[in-house]
Amino acid sequence: MTDLRLDARELLPPEPMQRVMAALPTLGPEDVLTLLLYREPFPLYAALEQRGFTWRTTLADDGTYTIEVRRR
Amino acid sequence: MSAALSFEQAPPLSVPHRFFLTGPLFGVAAGVLVALRGDEVVLSRWSMATFAAVHLVTVGFMLQVMCGALMQFLPVAAGANVWRPRLVAGVVHPSLTLGAVALTAGFLGAGADAMRAAVVLLGAGLTAFVAVTGLGLARSPAIGPTLLLLRSAVAALAVTAGLGVALAAIFAWGAALPLVQLVHLHAAWGLGGWALLLVIAVALLVVPMFQLTPPYPVRFSRGLGLAVAGALAAWTVGVVLDVAALDVVATSFGVGALGAFAVKTLHLQSKRRRKVLDTTVFAWRVGLGCLLVAGAALVALRLPLPALARARLEYLLGVALVAGAFPAMMAGMLYKIVGFIEWLHLQRVMAVPPTMQKVLPDARARWQWRVFTGAVLLLVGGALWPPLARLGGLGFAAACVILELHLISATRLYLRLSAAAALETPATP
Ligand code: HEM
Repeated sequence: MTDLRLDARELLPPEPMQRVMAALPTLGPEDVLTLLLYREPFPLYAALEQRGFTWRTTLADDGTYTIEVRRR
Repeated sequence: MSAALSFEQAPPLSVPHRFFLTGPLFGVAAGVLVALRGDEVVLSRWSMATFAAVHLVTVGFMLQVMCGALMQFLPVAAGANVWRPRLVAGVVHPSLTLGAVALTAGFLGAGADAMRAAVVLLGAGLTAFVAVTGLGLARSPAIGPTLLLLRSAVAALAVTAGLGVALAAIFAWGAALPLVQLVHLHAAWGLGGWALLLVIAVALLVVPMFQLTPPYPVRFSRGLGLAVAGALAAWTVGVVLDVAALDVVATSFGVGALGAFAVKTLHLQSKRRRKVLDTTVFAWRVGLGCLLVAGAALVALRLPLPALARARLEYLLGVALVAGAFPAMMAGMLYKIVGFIEWLHLQRVMAVPPTMQKVLPDARARWQWRVFTGAVLLLVGGALWPPLARLGGLGFAAACVILELHLISATRLYLRLSAAAALETPATP
């Protein structure tokens, strides 16, 4: 199993979304994609839902959201 | 692109755009009114020309643009789905537009019938808007502080609208209500509640996102929301029960919150990693600078002052917020989000959509920003030498004309490109 980490905090939209979408197909059944952002990506959630992924989001004190994406 | 991006939650482009294209027209009207009757506006916050100018901007321009932006951004920013956006926009947009016209006409002497129309139209339109956005926000799964601020902003809009309708009922039916106290409450909930809370909520999202600054710390954001709530609560109890001591509490919390927000945002922008000079940054700076001026005016108004100085400070406070801070930040945001929304929609139908830069080039935003800033400086100068206010009104109208033309051209570009894309791929599912 591999863990992918994508720090998209310093990327202008729409790049974060594009990178996640590109990374999703490479994700194995046990893999976790960890995405860092300064906002909660609701449009991404909708895309994840459609493609059969689940996610868990946490918020750190500095304002960083961590989204862990897995296959359902 | 292998996987088409999905933005199913975003409403059709016509939903926000009708609000965006209407708002600046009211800004033009406000500027023209101040150009014609600027003397009365500088003289007193209680003149009918002042009330009309204030609402041409707050209800005609700000409320219009903010409603369009919220319908677009609630799903994206808070996962709050807006119930049947097309239908809601179809009801809210005409009521707000005609309501703003009626309210202005009522202030400018068109009589009680105009005020009655304003009560019905704005009352109905805002009730619908608050109900739909409030429901969406109540069900939002978002975990961050933006949600609290958005909810408070919509709640403050409901209070503002309720108090505004009560005030208008005084004109419309001669309702026996305490006018001055109601104005004090309505103005504070409108500008310090609805407008300020919404600008803070939007800033938490778009400042780090588009300007690549560090984020606002979570505790800071929550603290801002609590301070504004504390200020409004203290102000309301103070006005209703006539407790003078609460004025100090309200002013401290209110000025503290807007000052902290302005200084923090300027500080974050100074640390931004995107070094490209972008007009939105300048627009925010003008807006935040105006917020600080408003804070200083609010404090100065607590000093014992001769009547003339007090009237001029009240004018300065109004100009800093109503002509400066909120329109500056909103225009800056419009130049960014219109390009972004069009990109979102176009990438569904074409392989290589034009970049945001192409839809609304920064050079255009820069031009509008220059005229706008000049206008605000003239309007502020009117506090010292009143004839400048009329020139400032003219400048404000010009800045709104430029904004409108740019929005029209962006919309036409979108329509042309999406029509061409539809011709190429007639079988798009
Ligand atoms: C939601 C945005 C609104 C904002 C930010 C806002 C802001 C203000 C402000 C700042 C004042 C005081 C003006 C001054 O001191 O010169 C005021 C007064 C007033 N507003 Fe609003 N307002 C809003 C909506 C409304 C609505 C929806 C109505 C009516 C349906 C309304 C009706 C009035 C009336 C009648 C007055 C007082 C006029 C008088 O006392 O003679 N406002 N408003």
